Amino acid sequence: MLKKPLFMLMTAALMVCVLMPGGGNLTAVGQAQQKPQQKKSAARYACPMHPEVTSEKPGKCPKCGMDLRLIEDEESVPPAQESSTVAAENRDEGALSSLQIPETTVYDQNGKRLNFYSDLVKGKVVAINFIFTTCTTICPPLTATFRRVQQMLKEQAGADVQLISVSVDPVIDTPERLRDFAAKFKAGPGWTFVTGDKFDFDSLLRALGAAVANKNDHTPMILVGNDATGYWTRTYGLSSPATLVKVITEAVNHKSGVVIKAGADPQ
Amino acid sequence: MLAGLMMSLYLVESAFADAPLQDSLTAQERRGKQIYVQGTSSTSRQEILAYLGDASLEVPGSAMACANCHGLNGEGKPEGGVIPSNLTWEALTKPYGVTHPGGRTHPPYTERALELAITRGLDPAGNKLLNVMPRYQMSREDMADLIAYLKRLGQSSDPGVTDSSISIGTILPSRSNLASVGEAIKAVTTAYFQEVNSQGGIYNRKIELKIAVTADTPAATSANIKRFIEDEHVFAMTSAFTAGADRELTTLMKELEVPLVGPLTLYPQVDFPLNRQVFYLLPGMDEQARALVKFASQRLPDQKAVVLILYPEGGQPAGVMEAIQDQCRKSGCGALQNISYQRVNLDLPAFARKLSQTSANSLFFLGTGEEALALMKEADKLRWSPFLYLPGAPVAGNQMFDAPLSFNRKIFLPFPTSPADQTTEGVGEFRALAAKYGLPAQHLAMQVSVYSAAKLLVEGLKRAGKELSREKLIEALEGLNKYETGLTPAITYGPNRRIGAMGAHIITIDLEKKQFMPASPWVNTN
Repeated sequence: MLKKPLFMLMTAALMVCVLMPGGGNLTAVGQAQQKPQQKKSAARYACPMHPEVTSEKPGKCPKCGMDLRLIEDEESVPPAQESSTVAAENRDEGALSSLQIPETTVYDQNGKRLNFYSDLVKGKVVAINFIFTTCTTICPPLTATFRRVQQMLKEQAGADVQLISVSVDPVIDTPERLRDFAAKFKAGPGWTFVTGDKFDFDSLLRALGAAVANKNDHTPMILVGNDATGYWTRTYGLSSPATLVKVITEAVNHKSGVVIKAGADPQ
Repeated sequence: MLAGLMMSLYLVESAFADAPLQDSLTAQERRGKQIYVQGTSSTSRQEILAYLGDASLEVPGSAMACANCHGLNGEGKPEGGVIPSNLTWEALTKPYGVTHPGGRTHPPYTERALELAITRGLDPAGNKLLNVMPRYQMSREDMADLIAYLKRLGQSSDPGVTDSSISIGTILPSRSNLASVGEAIKAVTTAYFQEVNSQGGIYNRKIELKIAVTADTPAATSANIKRFIEDEHVFAMTSAFTAGADRELTTLMKELEVPLVGPLTLYPQVDFPLNRQVFYLLPGMDEQARALVKFASQRLPDQKAVVLILYPEGGQPAGVMEAIQDQCRKSGCGALQNISYQRVNLDLPAFARKLSQTSANSLFFLGTGEEALALMKEADKLRWSPFLYLPGAPVAGNQMFDAPLSFNRKIFLPFPTSPADQTTEGVGEFRALAAKYGLPAQHLAMQVSVYSAAKLLVEGLKRAGKELSREKLIEALEGLNKYETGLTPAITYGPNRRIGAMGAHIITIDLEKKQFMPASPWVNTN
């Protein structure tokens, strides 16, 4: 009855399958990220244990003898290169100097595949919050606050200002779950909920300064930025909607140089 | 008289002690629970609304139900630096008042003070509550219901759990030709629970098995089972025979919030949004078909080659067909061509000739085993022997051994389990149970499935802990990752996953030796 070799073979195969990252319908994730990096091919190798040890050629670490590994870090070689030059010039005291928005492949609440930087952030003013659909204590007020912000921004929302809710739990948050969640809070156009491959999202969240080991520790932080001018700031997501609109308006003004009052018609 | 009638309705048996006393909720408390858990009113026409911050932020109560933050047990679910208060009546009414982590102190709550907290966001000392605590607007009746429930919060347990027992239900088929199946289900479940009980039960609670049977129609079955669950205070169900009434029974489990582990069916109901209550062990036909397509697409010589799907007119559940097409898109298996055939009056030689002229090398066949066999014999005469994939129909095993030799190892079938899944330990345990309790020799595959489901449920009950609730059981089961039953593929569940083993073994037929052969290790479709 029991065929030992067959059994072992099957167990091994099962393990491999189970250990593969990502959900079934998200297999294509991560390809878009590779291309922009190839242009800047100044390859660097670093020790996995001693990140300060780097080299332009493969080899061994003088400290521990481990093989040096090729660094493919979108934080150090960001695809969002074009914007970061502008950012460097226009950077002012309120800005977050280290922020680079990666070109991670994401899926929105309708299952549409997007590039995080070029489709959602490039050239726009954005407010990004961090949620997960099974989070019940702070995400509902965070999301309700965002909804109110969207209403107060009126026509600006979607046109000048993009609202983005990034899932910190991409493994569980399928586009369907996000769509359900968005509908519950009556999210309007110009507000994108995104999820994606776990591996890619880890680096996206790190880049945005929202990575946490335990999703329940995630903070009610909102990242507000103006990509065109490179102005970025963070704020507390459970503040009143009016306060958030003010922060967003400041970011908008950075672009146009014209003062637009909160809730006022941009025309 | 009445008792006799009840027996004929759903044949209840209590395998062990008398039914325990229940501390179930009153009608008012139940209405209050709905407000607490879902943020909606079952009676009032006035919608419950929640306001945040400066009252400019209005959302439906359902978006911010009490239980979201305070938890089903009222103890609070801290997240991102927000620590929701403990809402159990005992904690709220401590005679010396409450001091919160932030330093806020107030005297004990009264009913009136609680109402003010809910509607105005003020504690009994007049302090403002945390800014993430919404203020709610609801009818007076709803408020009274909610407060009635808040007094019971954390004390009331789900039906079917006492300090000394847990009631678990199962459903047997009533059709007389399935009587031996029913006997087997009952025998295995009874034996296994008795074994668990003899080893101390679950945190000293004995499992009491309650048994119901199906009725003639799905609607009648559903009605009977509803009464059964309510009257017998069934906490959770195992291995219920749901085939034929899948949709009705799974909907019922959702409505009554009764967890069900391992329903016996080939058609798991796993559409979005997921039915959180129902946990399947093995994949259904759709999932097995997907595994077969995935397997096939990996071995197709040419990704662009035409793949035929043959199905009898009006004879195939749509789900399998859709699963094949969808998986083909994902796995990339060339152009699909659907061809139907009539079951009666089919000119088989002409049909086979037409098929052979398509130059297709791969054929998914959704008819019966006999039909597949007849087609193979015709194809053989035309010296045409494509790879034949049989994803849907229950193919009677040995009849396939008569297929023409040109189809040697070219016929492929998906199987949810294989002897390869069985560990020496798992088999040993089951054999010991069978010997000790004299389990029937028939329906072994069914018995293994029933046994595995009961084992899984018991594992979930253990992991849920002493403070047992249905919600905790569901969370414990969702946490199972590659759990080895010893007799099935490893079982994994998650918030988005209700099929324990997603995929199938692919089996081929060696027509020379006349035996089934594994064609591939487990194909995972997750």
